[in-house]
Amino acid sequence: MKKILQLTLGIITSVGGFLEIGSVVTAAQAGANYGYKLLWAILLGTICLIFLVEMSGRLAAVSKHTIVDATRERFGFPFFSIVMLGIVAVAFLVLVAELGGIGLALQILSGIGFRWWAIPVSIIVWLLMWKGTFGVIENGASLLGLVTISFAVAAVKMHPDWGGAAHGLLPTMPGDGKAKYGFTAVSILGASISPYLMYFYSSGAIEDKWDESYIPMNRIIAGFGMTFGGFLSMAVLVAAALSLQPRGIDIEKFEQAALLMTPALTRWGFYLFAFSMLFACLGAALEISLAIAYFFAQGLGWSWSEDLDPSRDSRFAFTYTIIILLGAIPLLLGIDPIKVTMMSMALTSATLPLAIVPFLFLMNDSIYLGKHRNGWLSNSVVAIVILISFVLAIISIPLEIIGG
Amino acid sequence: MRSKRFLVASLVVLFACKPPTPAEQLDSALSWVATARMAGDAWLQHTTPDKYTRQTLELSQQTLLQLGTKLLKSPVPGVDSASLDSLLTRSRGHIAQMAALVTAKNSPGFRQQLDSLISDETLVKQFADSAESKQ
Amino acid sequence: MKLVRDVLDKKLTDREDCEMGRVSGLVMQVGERSQPRITHILVGGKTLWMRIHPWIARVAARLSRMWGPKRDEPVRIPWSRVESVGKDVKLDVKARDTGALDWELWVAKHIIERIPGGGKQEEE
Repeated sequence: MKKILQLTLGIITSVGGFLEIGSVVTAAQAGANYGYKLLWAILLGTICLIFLVEMSGRLAAVSKHTIVDATRERFGFPFFSIVMLGIVAVAFLVLVAELGGIGLALQILSGIGFRWWAIPVSIIVWLLMWKGTFGVIENGASLLGLVTISFAVAAVKMHPDWGGAAHGLLPTMPGDGKAKYGFTAVSILGASISPYLMYFYSSGAIEDKWDESYIPMNRIIAGFGMTFGGFLSMAVLVAAALSLQPRGIDIEKFEQAALLMTPALTRWGFYLFAFSMLFACLGAALEISLAIAYFFAQGLGWSWSEDLDPSRDSRFAFTYTIIILLGAIPLLLGIDPIKVTMMSMALTSATLPLAIVPFLFLMNDSIYLGKHRNGWLSNSVVAIVILISFVLAIISIPLEIIGG
Repeated sequence: MRSKRFLVASLVVLFACKPPTPAEQLDSALSWVATARMAGDAWLQHTTPDKYTRQTLELSQQTLLQLGTKLLKSPVPGVDSASLDSLLTRSRGHIAQMAALVTAKNSPGFRQQLDSLISDETLVKQFADSAESKQ
Repeated sequence: MKLVRDVLDKKLTDREDCEMGRVSGLVMQVGERSQPRITHILVGGKTLWMRIHPWIARVAARLSRMWGPKRDEPVRIPWSRVESVGKDVKLDVKARDTGALDWELWVAKHIIERIPGGGKQEEE
């Protein structure tokens, strides 16, 4: 029974890691600009993520070490510090975007600008980490995150062209505007395959005290959890294709996205969108802050656990405190969270190899995994998707800069 | 390997900050007129709250002002920039009125302005379509 | 035993399975005719930063003179105290006695415990 309840780890990882401001905004932009054509990018990202998350859980359950632990131990501190720098820098940008997302959701609900919400939001996120345990955060965020199911309800209610949607699951090239299309695809992949997700999940598996007996359940959790998130991202894309594309509306500001579900669900649609974003971004903010603090603590050998009082893992607690404080600053300065989102999603795609390549090495290391090493399927799927992301990034970005 | 990643990352940042072309700005203008219309329709159906509607209308108006200025400076090839500018100015006027009428909770007046905006939207779309066909 | 791979950067745990950081460096003795052997494990301090670049080590040293426990040298633990080397390195010491937790205790006392809800470190 306890193992089934662990599904909540899968859901929060999904809702916080998958369905957050990045994936919602990129999926909505994709739907508004290209209709169903980019569903394949979400599908690809989801499949890759299922494998990556399953691997993260397996590593933790078998070796009782997290990805970060194993990366430092296997590759040494100098290499580790490069990975840490790259991953943490991009993750921090995503954190700023999520805190901004919470602020924007509160803005459309209250009419009070997101800049004013920067400090209260940071305090609340910090308080949840300071006083909460991992279980409380995990289960609370999952439960609240379920409101995002409204995206699926809205999409279905608008009677999508299922045939067209099915076509969208296969990659196609648009007639013109290839560079922008490529860039949107890259952003979707970066929004789906966020490295902090893996670090959070593997740490969560340790916090929840998994062992080898959890391996089968881990597969179900990773599969179910990430499919849940991917499915909802697709729903956002479909909803945008049906409600925004016909009206010629592109999403440059959050206010435009807020109209996404209003044709389908009228007044409910407006409030469900706002609350979905609120809880999804809250889950993401918690997840990313923890992931960054885990990175420092595990990499440098400090004690760490959300279940401990802050004074028992003081450097870990200090780290997430500082990170959340710093994260509020760009928002106080009025920097648009949507712009931060777009940049951080593309940057994530470009820096994916930094996280994934060492990870793939670890997953084939018998010292950590024994007989549970990766099979050819896991290795191939991940390697291919990462290659695609990286190649897409280096092709479409210069093209867009030069050609536009 | 390290320097390659740094290069890619800088390209990404450059791209994310790249300024849009005049044609893209025209598409954006159309998008914002459409946004104001959609928000207007939603408000009349009691779907969106007053504060959000007013703020979105004001945001549309401000964005259209910025876009209009930029389009005047660097016009879209093949598009009569003077006509486009007066059209956008007229649309902004309607949107500004709509925002004020939200506060006054004047639905009939709002409906009138919205109808005018809808006609403007059709015209902006024609401009955007002709610009695209000339690309 | 491939020393670098088996010991360096591994987690250290004490007698009570308390986590006490990671192996930052090793002190080795090289004899004229004998095999080089490890004499000490180093934890924390400038050893870690030196592995990236000496400049970073200097900055870290300057910062640690301003804040934190005034500790300049890394913690040295004699190799004789090593009980086992597996995925982690188990030591026959008490973490607090070695000085490996100095920073942790300093942050707890001077920062965390001053914030409401921070809790208290156990008294000795």
